[in-house]
Amino acid sequence: MSLITMQHVVKTYVMGDERLEVLKDVNLTVNPGEFVAIMGPSGSGKSTMMNIMGLLDTFNSGLYTLRDTDVTHLTDNERAHVRNREIGFVFQSFNLMPRMSLLENVALPMVYAGVGRRERQERAAAALTQVGLGDRLDHQPNEISGGQMQRVAIARAIVNRPAVIMADEPTGNLDSKTSVEIVRIFQQLNAAGTTVVMVTHEPDIAQYAKRIISFRDGVIQTDETLKQPQKAGADQ
Amino acid sequence: MTVIESFKMAIDAITANKMRSFLTMLGIIIGIAAVIAILAIGNGATTRITGTFNDLGATTISLSVSNKAGNDAQLTAADLQAIKQADTRVTAISPNYTLAGFAATNNQDEQAIVFGGTPDLQYTNTVMDSTITAGRYFTQAEYDDAAPVAVISVDGAAQLFPNQHSAVGQMITLRSRTTSISVRIIGETQSTVSKYQGAVRRSSFPVYVAIPYATMKLLSINAGGITDVTMKVRSRNDITSVSQSTVRLLETRHDVVGQHLYTARNYLAALDQVDSVLGLFVNFIAAVAAIALIVGGIGVMNIMLVSVTERTREIGTRKALGATTRDILIQFLLEAVILSLIGGLIGLTLGIVLAEVVAGWLGITAHITWQAVILVLLFASAVGVFFGLYPARKAAKLNPIEALRYE
Ligand SMILES: Nc1ncnc2c1ncn2[C@@H]1O[C@H](COP(=O)(O)OP(=O)(O)O)[C@@H](O)[C@H]1O
Ligand SMILES: [Mg+2]
Repeated sequence: MSLITMQHVVKTYVMGDERLEVLKDVNLTVNPGEFVAIMGPSGSGKSTMMNIMGLLDTFNSGLYTLRDTDVTHLTDNERAHVRNREIGFVFQSFNLMPRMSLLENVALPMVYAGVGRRERQERAAAALTQVGLGDRLDHQPNEISGGQMQRVAIARAIVNRPAVIMADEPTGNLDSKTSVEIVRIFQQLNAAGTTVVMVTHEPDIAQYAKRIISFRDGVIQTDETLKQPQKAGADQ
Repeated sequence: MTVIESFKMAIDAITANKMRSFLTMLGIIIGIAAVIAILAIGNGATTRITGTFNDLGATTISLSVSNKAGNDAQLTAADLQAIKQADTRVTAISPNYTLAGFAATNNQDEQAIVFGGTPDLQYTNTVMDSTITAGRYFTQAEYDDAAPVAVISVDGAAQLFPNQHSAVGQMITLRSRTTSISVRIIGETQSTVSKYQGAVRRSSFPVYVAIPYATMKLLSINAGGITDVTMKVRSRNDITSVSQSTVRLLETRHDVVGQHLYTARNYLAALDQVDSVLGLFVNFIAAVAAIALIVGGIGVMNIMLVSVTERTREIGTRKALGATTRDILIQFLLEAVILSLIGGLIGLTLGIVLAEVVAGWLGITAHITWQAVILVLLFASAVGVFFGLYPARKAAKLNPIEALRYE
């Protein structure tokens, strides 16, 4: 059974008299265990697609099924709950809470999930250890590097054991060496069974995924499965 | 999300920017401090002024006879007895004859105010009060017999007998313009002067002396018929009806109904006026304080709006991580309420200190009731809710994508 099924999804922005069709009849299926890279030039609709998949944004017409559930018409509250349980976001600019420790940052999704304090701390510590920051639980975000901040964000994304990780340009603010480190963590998580959808406009980063979808002007132009994805560890 | 989590988040946000939080609270602090101080001082002043008025006769009625009254209409000792017996609400009644003369010993000669009355004089006289500090008051028998006895004010005793602990048992000479009599001091009482001593120089006041009315007749040729009478009633509420019934009784006894020869005066009107002036004053200041609180509330709203704008990305991130509209609303609302409540607590402390200091200057006691404390803290919370609601709703309603894109 597929994890994400999108059928005939259309997204239109209306600005004054102008109608801007950002997604034009997009059809996409993502199966559990996939690592999908979404590519395309700036303004082609990648972020819009990702926000709709992540239930942050709504669309004008079409159907969206997530884990066998029709999530096309949900209330704001229901969407917040699905985001909390099923989706782990990783952003280009990390979006950590500046005055919270790394542990508290990672524990935040569990606060909204109603997880008890003890369990939150244990699971947050485990997630941070998983991304290699098990020794910095009490550090503040301003005490660590950009690559480390993105690792914290990844720990935060996986801590509620979501169905899929959605990362919009996760390496956009990082140098190429650090970018590879980050994408390698995605590979590891994917190898352990987590589904990953990652937006990037860098072809060499996309090469680490198992499948590359190219967007142009709001339509999927190519959709190819890589026979041999780049091994992040191999070129080091 | 639990309330404890929201609470912790709110506290974190407040402590993250302590100086700004404090400045935000300032309006609330000033408003609450003013309210508490004014309530405490107002209560204290009211108690003090009412107390003073009670001393001066909140339960006192003065009876007088018109000079148009003929001989048959003059007041008699029997009238006074009849008034007291007719109504249990009348607790004391006495003639109120006052003579300005001199009191002398072998060594001292002082100005004196001499009061003549029944034994009830100790309750009706407002200058010398009923607190007997030594000896005793004169009795009905001494009154009937025109006994040469006198009760003297403590401060007067100290003037006449500067070297003695007590004047009781001593003889003094009372002198009017026409004659003089020798009386034995049988008791000492507090007086208005002795009660507020320290505030005034004692020797600049006359010696106060109380003697039986019959004895007064020996001292003053004018002390024939009774023209002025003072009576006491149980409570302030009895004043009006006792005044009316007493006048009616006298008119009936002297068969002069409807001639308006007797007048009963009281201090109710003056008391009411003082009450209303005090009430007006407290209300006025309270209104000023309420305006300060509203200004404080607007300050809270202002800073919360700034805070929402500054934390737009944070709000977007929280929403992406699964925060519901309600979670965000509660977080910001709690922040506003806690901000206001902390301001309220600081204001409360400051207000109490202020009240004590000002009350000290005014020589009164500040009264801070727990009702006032609870009321003020509830009010501070209400200000927080009221002025926090708009910014909190604004935060809660943010579109997550736009919030995440916000720079
Ligand atoms: N809120 C919006 N209102 C109007 N146009 C928008 C809005 N958000 C995005 N767009 C437009 O939609 C198109 C796709 O944007 P986006 O999905 O962010 O592209 P990408 O991520 O591929 O660079 C762009 O032309 C952008 O200007
Ligand atoms: Mg984009």
